[in-house]
Amino acid sequence: MMQLLTDYFVALQGWLFDTLVQPLLFAFGLASYVEMGFDGVEFVLLGSIELAIAYALMRPLEALWPAEQWKQRQAVRVDVLYTLLNRLGLVPLTVFALLAPIFMELESWLRFNNIIPRQLEDWLPGLDYHPLVSFLIYLVILDFAEYWRHRLSHTFGWWWALHGIHHSQRQMSFWTDSRNHLVDDLIAGLWFACLSLFIGVPPGHFIGLLIALRLVENLSHTNTRLTFGGIGDYLLVGPRYHRWHHALELPADPRFRYGCNFAILFPVWDILFDTLYLKEYLPPTGIHEGSAEEVAARDNFWAQQKLGLVLLWKALSSRKKQSPSG
Amino acid sequence: MKLPHLIGLLASAFLSMSAHAETAIVLNSVDENISFVDTKTYKETGKAPACKEPHHLMATPDDSSVIVACAISNELVFFDPKTGKEQKRIKNISDPYQLGFSPDNKWFVANSLRLDRVDLYKAADFSLVARVPAAKTPSHMAFDKASQFVFITLQDSNEILAIDLKTQQPLWKLPVGPTPAGIHMTPDDKYLLVGIMGADYVEVIDWRARKTVKKIVTAKAAHNFLARGDGRHVFVSNRTVNGSISLVDMQTLTEVEKYDVPGGPDDMEIRADGKELWATARFGRKVQVIDLEQKKVSRSIPVGRSPHGVSFINHAARQ
Repeated sequence: MMQLLTDYFVALQGWLFDTLVQPLLFAFGLASYVEMGFDGVEFVLLGSIELAIAYALMRPLEALWPAEQWKQRQAVRVDVLYTLLNRLGLVPLTVFALLAPIFMELESWLRFNNIIPRQLEDWLPGLDYHPLVSFLIYLVILDFAEYWRHRLSHTFGWWWALHGIHHSQRQMSFWTDSRNHLVDDLIAGLWFACLSLFIGVPPGHFIGLLIALRLVENLSHTNTRLTFGGIGDYLLVGPRYHRWHHALELPADPRFRYGCNFAILFPVWDILFDTLYLKEYLPPTGIHEGSAEEVAARDNFWAQQKLGLVLLWKALSSRKKQSPSG
Repeated sequence: MKLPHLIGLLASAFLSMSAHAETAIVLNSVDENISFVDTKTYKETGKAPACKEPHHLMATPDDSSVIVACAISNELVFFDPKTGKEQKRIKNISDPYQLGFSPDNKWFVANSLRLDRVDLYKAADFSLVARVPAAKTPSHMAFDKASQFVFITLQDSNEILAIDLKTQQPLWKLPVGPTPAGIHMTPDDKYLLVGIMGADYVEVIDWRARKTVKKIVTAKAAHNFLARGDGRHVFVSNRTVNGSISLVDMQTLTEVEKYDVPGGPDDMEIRADGKELWATARFGRKVQVIDLEQKKVSRSIPVGRSPHGVSFINHAARQ
């Protein structure tokens, strides 16, 4: 059965590649990128399957056990657009195209100077022989790095200028996961590339790691009353846990002046670094925008992209930190 | 029959009698592991972890090991071709992609496709001798018989680079067709055959005169080479989803046969008796077995993602 599904998947991947991608690569003299193009088709197909699974599991949760009842779902549309741009590969491809040449140059320079960065397996050689253990360890490391990336995006005013777009959604749903300013996506790519350079994330794990992160992130943004229970909510980030991260009103404690619950997969990082805040009730989500222009940008892709750049410029010009709650 | 051919045939005949010589090793680049395939039952019998982003494998000249090049983890992993067991790892081999031993077995060469560089090592102990800049995208390699030169295809600058192994310096570059990939020296040491992946032909180069003498049209995405072992013919994989493998006569410099091989045929290996050609189907997650008497694919063996190399000890001579 599994082999049959694999055969169908590979046949579809091959057909899409042969029909859409390969002719373009040859036409533009890019035959060298054939393998990458083929892997890219797989990336998009798996992203689409992951999204279909997310929709099949999470949309019923939103319909049957919603955290909030909405009269209209119009505000969700822009998040659907972000998700499609992400899952259909446009955003990841752009980020890769921008960053790959820089990192190739850097690596090339290091090698010519006889510097080969140490990798995790140099300290833990056993990982070479245990792919599952290796996958789990990289998942934990990646999640730890994501915790700090996320936390810093709330801490630095210039970064918050971009990341605030993600938080400006007042009708948070499982689609909201991909709602990010494109420059914010670029920084996330840069963060991941640096991590890869220094610990050597195995490319073979990459898609699996990404799907694991995406599924949990889709679920944690879902508009549902679902919880993982008294203990479960402290083991894996779920809808209630992450809703507090998106809360319109931040907890009054100065510890949370930049926000709370920054963890992506495992709440343990919030516990360790004292940024966890969880209550039984489910708060409304969003931010208090500072201007009518910002309010107007809530549901508009291009307005959000422009606004992010304007706020980034202001933050960098004034070097004045903005509050996450606006 | 020349002496090396005779030795090759005798060696192959001896090895074919080995009780443990029935396992093929297949490298799955994206899955980062190797598959073991029983060459009698055509079934995958197991898998073993390899390393981070392995690309290409090759048998050592004495067939005592199969080496896997690990581009991201900067190492070589050696497997026993009979048992499939890992023998050793050599670390700090920077970004190896394609590997090769010079015919005199003095040099071990590793192309760094990603980082535009060719590394020259002493084959005896894998100690680095020189790093040669090789922009852009050094891909495959071939040697002259005297082991004086190594010739490298530069995929993204559409050139052949010749490196003098005595001085370890780049000697010359020669423009060729778009996206050159595989490269093969004819047995008479006269011509280099270059698979022009961005087009549909094999470019024939008189390397001493440094000029193209012929283009042998095969099929779209001419990619890699494997000698049939008879000292006269070479297989050329044409790597598209609906791909094929051509047989080229290296004396007449013409295509003499072609077999449909779906799934993006890439690296190849041939059985000692010359009856079967095995090819990894990069885009099909399979190894395709071509019956050379029937001239068609007789078996498709499911393996891992992006299979990028196949090797068995019971192979034909390398020319």
